[in-house]
Amino acid sequence: MGRIALELLLRRIILAIPILICVSALIFILLRLVPADPVAMSLPPGSSQADYEAMKQALGLDRSIPEQYWIWISSLLRGDFGTSVFFRRPVIDLVATALPATVELVVFSLIVGTLLGIGGGMLMFAWRGTIGEQVLDLGTTAIMAVPEFLWAILLILFLGVAVPLLPFIGRLDPSVSLPPSVTGFLLLDSIMTGRPDVLGSALTHMVLPVIALSIGLAPLIMRVLRSSLIETIMEDYITQARLRGISERQIILHHALKNAALPTISLIGVQGGFMFGGTVLVEMIFAYPGLGNLMVDAVRNHDLPVVQVVGLVYCVLVLAINAIVDVIYLAANPKLRMA
Amino acid sequence: MADVLRAKNLTVSSAGGIAVLRDISFAVARGEIIGLVGESGAGKSMLGRVIAANLPGGFHVSEGSLDFGGADLTRITGEARRQLLGREIAFIPQEPLTSLNPVLTIGQQFSEHLARIGGLPRSAFREHIVQALADVRLRNPEDLLQRYPFQLSGGMCQRVLIAMAFAAKPALVIADEPTTALDVSTQATVVQIMRRLQREQGTAMVFITHDLRLAARVCNRIAVLYAGEVIEEGPAGEVLEAPRHPYTRVLKAANPVLSGPRHRLRTLPDQMPTVEAFARLPGCRFATRCPVADPACAAAIPTLREIAPAHFVRCSDACGERAAALVEAEPILVPPAADKGSEPVLVLEGLSKHYPGKADWLGRRKPGTDAVKNVGLTVQRGEFIGIVGESGSGKSTLARLIAGLETPTDGRILVAGEDVTRADSKARALRLETLQMVFQDPQSALNPRRSIDHIVTQAMEPTGASRAERLERARSLLAETKLSGELLERYPAQLSGGQKQRVNIARALCVTPHLLIADEIVSGLDVSVQAQILNLLLDLRAARDLSLVLISHDLAVVRYLCSRVVIMHHGVVVEEGEVDRVFGDPQHPYTRQLIAAVPPDDLDTPWPAPVAVEPDNAEGLERASI
Ligand SMILES: Nc1ncnc2c1ncn2[C@@H]1O[C@H](COP(=O)(O)OP(=O)(O)O)[C@@H](O)[C@H]1O
Ligand code: SF4
Ligand SMILES: [Mg+2]
Repeated sequence: MGRIALELLLRRIILAIPILICVSALIFILLRLVPADPVAMSLPPGSSQADYEAMKQALGLDRSIPEQYWIWISSLLRGDFGTSVFFRRPVIDLVATALPATVELVVFSLIVGTLLGIGGGMLMFAWRGTIGEQVLDLGTTAIMAVPEFLWAILLILFLGVAVPLLPFIGRLDPSVSLPPSVTGFLLLDSIMTGRPDVLGSALTHMVLPVIALSIGLAPLIMRVLRSSLIETIMEDYITQARLRGISERQIILHHALKNAALPTISLIGVQGGFMFGGTVLVEMIFAYPGLGNLMVDAVRNHDLPVVQVVGLVYCVLVLAINAIVDVIYLAANPKLRMA
Repeated sequence: MADVLRAKNLTVSSAGGIAVLRDISFAVARGEIIGLVGESGAGKSMLGRVIAANLPGGFHVSEGSLDFGGADLTRITGEARRQLLGREIAFIPQEPLTSLNPVLTIGQQFSEHLARIGGLPRSAFREHIVQALADVRLRNPEDLLQRYPFQLSGGMCQRVLIAMAFAAKPALVIADEPTTALDVSTQATVVQIMRRLQREQGTAMVFITHDLRLAARVCNRIAVLYAGEVIEEGPAGEVLEAPRHPYTRVLKAANPVLSGPRHRLRTLPDQMPTVEAFARLPGCRFATRCPVADPACAAAIPTLREIAPAHFVRCSDACGERAAALVEAEPILVPPAADKGSEPVLVLEGLSKHYPGKADWLGRRKPGTDAVKNVGLTVQRGEFIGIVGESGSGKSTLARLIAGLETPTDGRILVAGEDVTRADSKARALRLETLQMVFQDPQSALNPRRSIDHIVTQAMEPTGASRAERLERARSLLAETKLSGELLERYPAQLSGGQKQRVNIARALCVTPHLLIADEIVSGLDVSVQAQILNLLLDLRAARDLSLVLISHDLAVVRYLCSRVVIMHHGVVVEEGEVDRVFGDPQHPYTRQLIAAVPPDDLDTPWPAPVAVEPDNAEGLERASI
C-alpha cells in the first residue's frame, strides 16, 4: 500500500508540472491583455516620465512577454514570488497569511459536508420507499437549488442579524488578540500556544461560512451514496452474508458501506476542487481574510503580481485535493492496490 | 433416522395466486443428501429462498410447512430465523466469485463469520481459519488470509465458501448449483470436498443442480422438479438409470453421453412454461410437451404415486405403459466421413496471437499473454471439429482469429484455399461468403429494435433485395432452423433463450456459408433446449454440407456433434484427433484431467477418480501472485 501510494503521488506530482506550466502561462498572458498599467500604479503621484521609464525597466516590463514570463517563472523557482504593487509587501507574506485561512475553511467544509452527506445518505437509504425518503429528496433538491453565496447571505440574515447567534465578519473577534503564528493555521496555533479563547472565537467565526460551503455538497453525497448503497445490497455477497446470519446493521456497516463508498469518494474529489471556487464569494461575504479576499482585492487594485501568484496557488490546491482523494480511493479499493 | 428437514405440501404462490412451487413434499435425514434436479425455472432455487425468507416480491408460502428441528421455517420470524442461518443452516452459492465481498480479505470475512457463530475466542480465530482452509485443500492458507476474493479463482472462492459453510457444523447445508459457474476440472474437486465434510459431520444436505448425472453421483435421493412440482422422486441410482416419468426419461435421453453408442438426442418441443402460463395448465403441467400425453392429462393434476419402494412418480400413466414407447432408443448416429478429396474449407498454419500487457493506471506494463500459440488445423468440407478447453485457454481468441475479428501476430489462415491472413477487402469478401460466426450470448448478438425477419436477412441488406424477397428468405431460414413462421414479426425480447439461439443460427445461414464457427452456443441453455440446437446442427450438416468449428467446454456435446477434437490449454493445442480416440484413450495428462472431471455415465465407475482431485489451486495462485 505505502509503496503504491507513493508511486501514485509521484505520478500526480510529475503530471502537475505541465499543468502548472500551462496554467501559469495562461494566467500570465491573460493578465498582460488586461488594460492596466502596473508601472503607473507603482509610482508615487507626480512622477516624471523618466521615473516611469526607470520603474518600467525595474519591473522588467520593457521586455517581450515571453521574456517577462521566463523572468517570472525563474524567480518563482528561486522562491521569489514578487512584491505586491498595492500593499508593497512580498507576495509570499500575503499568501502565507491568507492561504491557511482558506485551507481551514475548505477542509472543515469538506469534513462537515461529507459527514452530513454520509449520514443523510444512509438515512435516505434506510428510509427508501417511504415518505421520509421523498421528504429528504425534496428537501435536498431545494437546498441544491440555492447557490453558495445566497446561502451565505441567508445565513447572515437569519443567524447573524435576525437572531444574532453567530458572528459573521472576519476570522476572529476584534477583542481577541492573535496568537503568535506557528503554522499559520489559526486552529492549530491556538491549540499549540494554549489559547482556548482564540480557538473558540475562530470556530464560531467558521460556522456560518462552513455551512454555506458544505450545504451544497452534502445532498450530492447523500444521493450518490444512497444509489450506490441500493446497488450494492443487490450484490451476491450481501445475500450470502445474510444467509450466514450476519445482522442487517453489520451488513450495512461492514459490507455495503465499504463498497458503496467508492463512487462517493470520487465525487468528493471533484467537488473538493469546485469548493475552492466557492470560497471566493463566500469569503467576500463574510469578510474572511483568505485567498479569495486577497484575490478580489488584488484584482480590484490591478495588483498583477498578487493575482498571478494567487491564481497559481488555487491551481495547486485543486491538484492537491485531487491527489489526496486519489490516495484515499486507493486505500479504500483493494482492486486498485493489488492490480 | 431423524429427518433434519421435512417439506410437507409446501406451496409458494405469486401475488396473483399462481403456485410457483406446488405441493412439494420431501425429507432429508442426518447424513443424507437429497438432489433437487430440474431445468431453469423449475423452482429449484425457490426452496432455498423459502428457507432464507428471501422470496422475490409478491411471492409467499400459501400452504404447507417446512419442518426443521421442530420449528416451521415458513413461520418463524426474523430474528429467530437469523439465529439459525449460518449456525444451523448454511448455504453454498452458485456464483462463488461474486459471493465474497471484494473489499474485505478472506481472513476478515472468515473471522466475521466465526464471530457470528460464536463459541470461539478471537485469539483462536486465525488458527481455526487456517485449519479450515487447509481442510478444503487450499494451499498456503496462511497467505490466503490476506488475499482478496478477486485474487482467487472461482474454484478457490468456492472452497473458501464451503469451509465457511461447514465451520459451524450446521445440521443442514443447501448448495444451489455450487459447481455450475466453475470449470469442469474444478467441479470434481469441489464436489469431493463438499461430500467429505458432509460425511464427516453427518450433515443433511440439499444439493440443487440441473445435471441429473452429477446429482446421481452426489446424492442419496433425487427429486426431479418440473414447473414447480416434484414429478419424480426416488433413490438416486434408480432415477438416473431407470427413470419412470416421461419428463425424466426425455431429460436423460436429451443429454449427450461421453461413452457408449451415440444415439440421436431426444428433444421436447418448446420449453418449460413460465409462471404466467401455469395458470393455463390446470392439469399436468407437462401436458403441453409430453410425448405420451392423452386428453385426460390436461384435466386433472396427477398425484404423486409410489411405483416402487420409495420411488414416486407424478403421472397419470404412472406404471409407464404409454411411456414405455419412449424407451425405444433413438437411432444411432454415424458421422459422415470427411470429404478429403476437395479443397479444405479452412486451414490454419502456425497461428498465434499475442496480446501485449496492458499498462496499468500507474503506467506499468504487465507481461503480455500468448492467447493462441502456434495452432495448426485443417477443416474439411462437411467436417465438424470441436475445440475444447477451460476458460482462458484461448478458444474464443482462436474463433475470433478465424472469423477475422482479430489479426494474428503470426501464422496463416487459408479459407477455401485462399490466404486471408491479411484482412484486405478481397479477404473480407471471401470470408463473408464462406464463413459465419455464431456467438455465445444470443441476447447481446441480436439487435433488440429489429424484428426477426430483418435480423435473419441482415446479410441481404447490401444486395438491395426487395422486402418480398427478404421475407421469403426469412421464412425459409426460420423453417430450416425449426422456428415457427409466426416469429417473423416479433422482436428478440419476445423469444426464449433457445429461440434466440436459433435465430442467431438462422442469421448465420443467410449467406449460405460453408463453415460455421460456434462459440459456446449451447452453454447457457437447458438440456432439452440444448438437444434441439444440437440436432438442428446435425440436420444442417446433412442438408447443406456444412462444416462446423464448435467451441465448447462440454466434452459430451463435442463428442455428440464432432468427428475430430482439438484440446487447448494455455493457448496451445495439447492433443488432437478422432473424437473416439481422444476421449477413449487420452494421451495428454490435461486431456485425462478434463475427462476425469466429468462424472461417467456408468454409476459403477467410481467418481471422482483420484487423478481428478489433485489439490489444485495452481491456476488461482498464478493470478494471485502479484
Ligand atoms: N424475482 C423473481 N420475480 C418473479 N418471478 C421469479 C423471480 N425469481 C424466480 N421467479 C420465477 O419462479 C420460478 C422458479 O424460479 P427458480 O426457483 O429460480 O428456478 P430454478 O432455480 O429452478 O431455475 C420461475 O418460473 C421464475 O420465473
Ligand atoms: S400425466 Fe400425462 S401429460 Fe403428464 S407426464 Fe404423465 S402422461 Fe405426460
Ligand atoms: Mg436456480
